[in-house]
Amino acid sequence: MKTKTEHPKIKEFKYTLYRIFRNPSAIIGVVLLFIFITIAVLAPYIAPPKFKHRPYMMPHNGYSMTPQPPGEGRIFGTTSGQYDIFYGAVWGTRTAFRIGIIVVLSAFVIGAVFGIVAGYYGGLVDEIIMRLVDVFFAIPFTILAMSFVVAFGRGLNSIVIALILVVWRRYARVMRAGVLSVRDQDYILAAKSMGVSDIKIMLRHVFPNAVYPVMVIAFMDAGSIVITAAFLSFIGLGAPIGYADWGQMLAMARNYIVGPAGEPLKYWYTIFFPGTFMILFVLAWNLFGDAIRDAFDPKLRRK
Amino acid sequence: MTKILDIKDLVTNFYTYEGVVKALNKVSFQVEHGSTFGLVGESGCGKSVTVRSIMQIVQSPGLVESGKIFFSHSNDAYDNSIDLLKQSENFMQSIRGNEISMIFQEPNSALNPIMSIGQQIAESYIFHQKKEIIEKILKIGNEENIFPRVSVNNILKPLYKLANFNPESFFLKLLKKVPILKYWDKAILRTAIAKSVELLGLLGIPNPERIVAQFPHNLSGGMKQRVVIAIALASNPVLLIADEATSNLDVTVQAQILDLLNDLKKRDIISSILLITHDLGVVAETCDRVGVMYAGNLCEVGEVRQIFKNPKHPYTKALLGSVPKAKQTDILKSIAGNVPDLVNPPSGCRFHPRCENAMEKCKQNFPDISKVDKGHFVACYLYLN
Amino acid sequence: MVVVLFGVSILMFGILMTFSPERRAAAFVKSPQQVKEIPKLVKKYGLDQPFYIQYVRWIKEISHGNFGYSTVAASPTLDAIKRYLPVTVEMNLFSLPIIIILGIWLGTIAGIHRDTFIDHITRIAAIIGWSLPTFLFALILLMFFYSQFQLFPPGVISDHIDDFISNHPEQFIQYTGMYTIDGILNWNFAVVWDALMHLVLPVVTQVTVVIAILVRVMRSSMLEEISKDYVITARAKGVDEHTINHKHVKKNALLPAITVAGWLIALSIEGSVAVEFIFNRAGLGLLLVSAATQLDIPVVLAISVFLGLIYVVVNLIVDVLYAVIDPRIRLN
Repeated sequence: MKTKTEHPKIKEFKYTLYRIFRNPSAIIGVVLLFIFITIAVLAPYIAPPKFKHRPYMMPHNGYSMTPQPPGEGRIFGTTSGQYDIFYGAVWGTRTAFRIGIIVVLSAFVIGAVFGIVAGYYGGLVDEIIMRLVDVFFAIPFTILAMSFVVAFGRGLNSIVIALILVVWRRYARVMRAGVLSVRDQDYILAAKSMGVSDIKIMLRHVFPNAVYPVMVIAFMDAGSIVITAAFLSFIGLGAPIGYADWGQMLAMARNYIVGPAGEPLKYWYTIFFPGTFMILFVLAWNLFGDAIRDAFDPKLRRK
Repeated sequence: MTKILDIKDLVTNFYTYEGVVKALNKVSFQVEHGSTFGLVGESGCGKSVTVRSIMQIVQSPGLVESGKIFFSHSNDAYDNSIDLLKQSENFMQSIRGNEISMIFQEPNSALNPIMSIGQQIAESYIFHQKKEIIEKILKIGNEENIFPRVSVNNILKPLYKLANFNPESFFLKLLKKVPILKYWDKAILRTAIAKSVELLGLLGIPNPERIVAQFPHNLSGGMKQRVVIAIALASNPVLLIADEATSNLDVTVQAQILDLLNDLKKRDIISSILLITHDLGVVAETCDRVGVMYAGNLCEVGEVRQIFKNPKHPYTKALLGSVPKAKQTDILKSIAGNVPDLVNPPSGCRFHPRCENAMEKCKQNFPDISKVDKGHFVACYLYLN
Repeated sequence: MVVVLFGVSILMFGILMTFSPERRAAAFVKSPQQVKEIPKLVKKYGLDQPFYIQYVRWIKEISHGNFGYSTVAASPTLDAIKRYLPVTVEMNLFSLPIIIILGIWLGTIAGIHRDTFIDHITRIAAIIGWSLPTFLFALILLMFFYSQFQLFPPGVISDHIDDFISNHPEQFIQYTGMYTIDGILNWNFAVVWDALMHLVLPVVTQVTVVIAILVRVMRSSMLEEISKDYVITARAKGVDEHTINHKHVKKNALLPAITVAGWLIALSIEGSVAVEFIFNRAGLGLLLVSAATQLDIPVVLAISVFLGLIYVVVNLIVDVLYAVIDPRIRLN
C-alpha cells in the first residue's frame, strides 16, 4: 500500500518552519524585522530628505540647543540643535541595517575562512590560527573595538572596520568547532578517497554541514553589533553630529537626560524614540536567531 | 495460581508531528510466577513500548490509552493482583526498582557519568530500604536485617533516632539544605555502599570494593551491564524486565550475562524474568514461554519448545524460516514486503499485506485469539473456528 | 597561554604603532615635566625606529612596572590603574555571584519545565535583557529611579561620606579601596549602606544584561542531559522526578555551563565600561572611556594588557575547575 508522500526536502523545510514558528517569540521577531525592513526601504518616502545628495544628514530648523517636544511638524520632537528625531529614527534604521549587515557578512567571510582552514587542516595551521583567535578573544568586545577606533580615528567607517576586526573571532571559533565534528565523518573520507580536491570538499561537504551554529550566531550578532556601534557613537567616537544614527542621537541627548528640577523627565522623547527603535531592532534579531537555534538544534528535533 | 503479570488489551499511542503512531494494538499476555517469558519481534514491533508501558515510563509524546496491567507480588492463594494503570505515580515509584526492575540495552550510557558505581547502586537501597538501614545503624529492629553494620558518631545518633521516628521530619529536610550539616546521614550512604559491595560479589564481579569507588568510564561494557543488573537487583524485585539487555554486547559477554541471569533465577534471587529480544537464539536458551510480536500486535504465545517445533502463525513460521541454518546451501528465505507505517497501519490483521495465506476477512478485523494447544495461543483466522 | 599574552601585547602595540611618534612618546614619559620634552624623547627613544626594536624596549619598560604617563589621570599609568581598580572590582564582586546563582537557577527551571509558560517567560526575559544596550538600560534606570524617584544616586559614594573619609583618615582606614568591604572592616555601617545604595542600579544593570547567556547555556545543557539514558535508568530505579532533575541532571548539566564562565567574566567587565560611564563611577571603565576619547595611549595599552592577563588567568582557573568537577577528566 503506497501513500502519497512529498519530497523529503520539502517535508524537512516545512517541519523546520513549524519548529521555528510554534514559538510565539519567533513570530514577534519576524514581524518586527519585517516592520523595520519596510521602514528602511520606504525611508525616502516616509521622511523625505532635505539634502538630496546627503540623505543621512538630519534636517534641523534652527540652532537652539534645547530640545522641543513632539508637536506640529515634529512627530517625535527635536533633539538638541533642533534635529528632527523622527527623521533620525527612520533613516537611522537604514544605518542600523547597513552597519549590521556589512559587519556580519564581512566578519562571517573572514571568520569562516579561518575557521574552516584551521579545522580542516589541523596541526600547526590550526595552532597558529587558533592562537591568533585567542589573542583577539583576550580582550572584551567593546574594549577591543574601542582600541581599534582610537587607532583609526573616529567616524562610522572606523567603527565598522573595528567591529569587523572584533566580530570575526567568534565565527572562526564556532566554524572550526563545526568543522571538527564533520571532518572525521565517513562521507568526507569517501570524498577524499575519490580524489576530490580539498577546496571542493571544504566548500561542498564541510561548510554546509558545519555552518548552522555560525548562522545562528550571525543572526543574533546583526542586532548586538548595532548596540556596540551605538555605544561608541554615544561616547563620541562615532558618526558626526547630525548624522542619522541612533547612537549618535542618544549622544546629542546626553545633556538632557535629567531635566530641570520638578520636571525630571521633561526631555524624555530625546531618549525614548531612538532608544525604543534600537531596543526593538536588536530584540527582533535576537528573537529570530533564538528561534532558529531551537529549530535547528538536532538534539531537540524529533524525539 | 495467580500470574505475576497479566496484561489485557494494552493500547499505547504516540502523538507526533507526522500523526498518531498506534504503537500497541490491544496486546495481551501473561507471565507466570517463577518463569522466564520472552517477547520477540523485529525492530519497531513494539516490544520496548510494551514493557515501558508496564513500568509507566513511556517517553512523551507517548501515552498509554487503555487496557489493564495486573501485577501480583507473590503467588498466594488469594488474588492479590493490582491494576498498575490505575495507580498513582507515587505508588509506581515505590514499585519501580523495588518490585519490578528493568535493565536496558545500552550499558555505556545507562549509568550517570559523574556518580560513582557505589553511589548509583546505593541510591536504590536508600530509596527503597532507608528504614531498614536506619534501624540497623541504631541496632534495633529485625535480626534478619541484611545490611552490614557501620559505625556512627554518637553526636549524630539522635538525628538518626529522629529519622527513624519521623521519616518526613521537617527539621531533617531543612537540615539537608545547610551546606556542611547536610552530610549528617553519611552513615546511611556508607551502609548502602557496603551492601553494594556484597551484591557485586554475589554477581561474580571481582574486587567489588575497588569497583564501588570507580566511575562508569573506568569499566568495560560487560562490567557496566553487570552493574546495571546489580542496581536492578538491589531491592530484591520479584520481576526483572530485560529490554534487549544483551543486544549491544559481544557474543561472549552476552553468553556470560545470560548465564548470570539463569543462575540468579536458579538461586532464587530473581523470581521471574521478562526478556525482550530480537534474537531467537537467546529465547531458545533462556525462556520458558515466548510471545511473538509484529507491528504492535501479539501474534502467537506459547511454550518455547512448542513455538519452535510447531509454529502456527504465518509470521512466526516465516520468522523461524528466515533463520539461517548451519548446513543451508540455498538462498536465504526472507519475508516479502516492509514493516508497516504505524501512523497508517494496515486494517484488520496488520500482517496481511505480507502474508501468504491472507484472506478477505484478514483485512476487515483483527482476529480473535484461538487456542491451538495447551498454553499455546494464536491470533490468526486460519485457526479460528 | 603565555603565547596568547604575548600575542595580545603585540596586537595592542601594533594598534598603537598607527599613531605618530610624538603621540607615542607619551608612553615613555614618567612625569609631567617630561611631557614638554617630547621631540627630544622621540629621538632619544628611537620612536621612529622599526617596530620590533620599539616593542622590545616597551617590554623592558613594562617589566620595570613603567607603563608611561597618563595625561587623563595626570599620574603614572600604573598608579592610575591602581587607583581606579577597586571600584570596578567591587561592582563585579557583587554582580558575578548574583549572575551565576540566578542564572543557573533560572536556566535549570527553564530546562525542566520546557515549553511551558515558565520556560517561555524566562527565555523571553533573558533575551530582552540581552537585547538591551547596556548604556541605554543604565540611562533608563537612572532616569526613573534617580531623576524621578530620587533613589539610588549615581557615583560611588555620597559627598558627605567622602568628605568624612578624606578628613578623618584615622577613623576610617581604607584597606582595600572598596567602600563596602572597608566599611565592614571599620565597623562603620553607614558607609556600607551608602555604598550599597550607590551599587544597586549598576549591579542591576550588569546582571540583567549578562545573565541571558548563562540562562540559555544552562537551559540547553539541561535539555540535552534530560534526554540521556541514565535518566531512564534512574526513573526505572524508582527515583522521584525532583531528585532526578536536581541531583542527576543538573550536576551533569553544570559542566558545559562552566565553560561559559570565562565568557561571563569578560561580559561583566565589558558591561562595567558602559555602567561606570553612565553612573559616573570612578573605575577602570570610566578611565578607559576618557582615555579613548582623549587619545591617552598609555592607559588604553595598559588596560588592554591587564585584561589580557585576566583572561589568561580566568581560563586557567576554569580548566582546573572543570577537571575538579568532572571525574572523567581527572588524572588517574
